Amino acid sequence: MGQGRQDSQYLAKMKKVKIKELISGLQDFYLLSLRGLVGIIRKPFYLKDTIEQMDYAGAGTFLIIFLVSLFVGMALSLQLSAELSRLGLKMYTGMIVGISVIRELGPVVAALVFAGRVGAGMASELGSMVLGHQVDTLRVFGVDPIKKLVTPRILSSLLMLPALTIIGDAVSLFGGYYIAVFVSHQSSTFYWSSIREVLTFENVFAGAVKPFIFGYLIACICCYTGLSTKGGAIGLRRSTTRAVVTSIIMIIVSDFILTRILLYALGFPV
Amino acid sequence: MILFDKVWFSYGTRQVLKDLSFSIEFKEKVAILGGSGEGKTTILKLIVGLIKPDSGKITIEGEDITNKTEDELRGVRMKFSIVFQEGALFDSLNVKENVAFCLREYTKMSEDETDKRVRELLQIVGVEEAIELMPEELSGGMHRRVSIARSLAACEPKMFLYDEPTSGLDPINADNICKLILELSAPPSPPLSKGGIKGGGRGFIIVTHKVFDAMKVADRFMFLKDGMIIFDGNKGELINTTIPEIQLFMVELNLKPL
Ligand SMILES: Nc1ncnc2c1ncn2[C@@H]1O[C@H](COP(=O)(O)OP(=O)(O)OP(=O)(O)O)[C@@H](O)[C@H]1O
Ligand SMILES: [Mg+2]
Repeated sequence: MGQGRQDSQYLAKMKKVKIKELISGLQDFYLLSLRGLVGIIRKPFYLKDTIEQMDYAGAGTFLIIFLVSLFVGMALSLQLSAELSRLGLKMYTGMIVGISVIRELGPVVAALVFAGRVGAGMASELGSMVLGHQVDTLRVFGVDPIKKLVTPRILSSLLMLPALTIIGDAVSLFGGYYIAVFVSHQSSTFYWSSIREVLTFENVFAGAVKPFIFGYLIACICCYTGLSTKGGAIGLRRSTTRAVVTSIIMIIVSDFILTRILLYALGFPV
Repeated sequence: MILFDKVWFSYGTRQVLKDLSFSIEFKEKVAILGGSGEGKTTILKLIVGLIKPDSGKITIEGEDITNKTEDELRGVRMKFSIVFQEGALFDSLNVKENVAFCLREYTKMSEDETDKRVRELLQIVGVEEAIELMPEELSGGMHRRVSIARSLAACEPKMFLYDEPTSGLDPINADNICKLILELSAPPSPPLSKGGIKGGGRGFIIVTHKVFDAMKVADRFMFLKDGMIIFDGNKGELINTTIPEIQLFMVELNLKPL
């Protein structure tokens, strides 16, 4: 009896602590996201750290984005030419490839690759800094870890992901072109002119907003998860995995929400 | 003076410190002993305000630090030079940049001045040759030394805080670190000419589970068990204690030929 009562008291306490942790976790996440962003325009600036992060995020991810985008573009074009030629609508291949890549696939694919490579790196690096008391050391030295560690990562993601997305878009369109022209034997001039036609302000804007949002989300999620690491090597594994998984889910979910908002705002009928 | 007044602390459901009260003068040489996971590191973190107690009060030189913000704590933290467990060097920076970290952050020293100062500090701790190495290239002992040098650059500390400075080191290296700890706090050492770090009998708190090393450096010993201090006294009292938990800890000493 007594034991059972104690257990239930303990469980109740656990539950309370868990809920408290969840709420304070969310609060910390918002604070980190906000202060990390404000840090971009507030002193002190850590230029060197930002450049280092940009180098890591940009140069290191370029090749992967290139490869992935090329094959996504090719596969898309292949599928579309096959299906559209069955319907006798082969000439629409370029247009549909263009719209899907610019508005949807380009930003999402680049963001997913970015989360997997750069985001995981952020989380594990910050996590091991936490475990090795390096973050505590920064605080003791009077340096704000958010400004020193988070802001450079947010800034570099805000700059690099859009750039990588543009490159990825271009590579995808080129992959699509290769299949359309050399495999499906369509006219190359017609392909490029349909691409040019879909490069309207609305489409480009819809595609250009996304990578900024995705970059910001990835950086905030991965920095937050990294900085809240605890519990040794296993904890590090847990937070790296969590950072990537959460980022991926958030990218897909926010992509849908953004698409809905953008289509509405830009006046596309659905 | 550091004053803990009925301090309680927990991580989630894990109660780490229970009703802890003690006071330590800045000039004292204190060792806090205790087994793994007893909350030794937690005490150091509380002293510099990295974590806040659930209840109770911590005052540093009469200033209550329990409700201070990060900015307000800066002044308090300047009073201490803290060396974390494992050294905690920034592993993206080389030894020179690690030691120069605070100089770059807070002073407008030129590159030459910084270089000179870093070399002085490394000389004090005896690892000048490592200046260009990365942290992962250092041995455990060198790592601790560089970390001590870095914390010396930070400010004019009134007290040193060392978290397990000798753990993971062989006895000779551990002994050298103990000597360095004594040198840094004995007045007036290191000499003013050597880098200008003023002596003046600054005390220290060394947190460790190695009784043997603690005996070499400290005058006052506290023993932490189950979140409470079960012993607080000098060396003689420690050796003659009848508390069984502490006697178990002292077994290590008996291995030494008398
Ligand atoms: N960030 C944390 N989250 C949850 N629990 C923690 C955290 N840090 C420490 N603990 C727990 O608090 C207790 C005290 O930790 P602390 O690091 O102060 O121990 P310690 O005496 O320094 O041990 P060691 O000799 O192993 O360094 C441990 O049981 C540990 O599991
Ligand atoms: Mg410890």
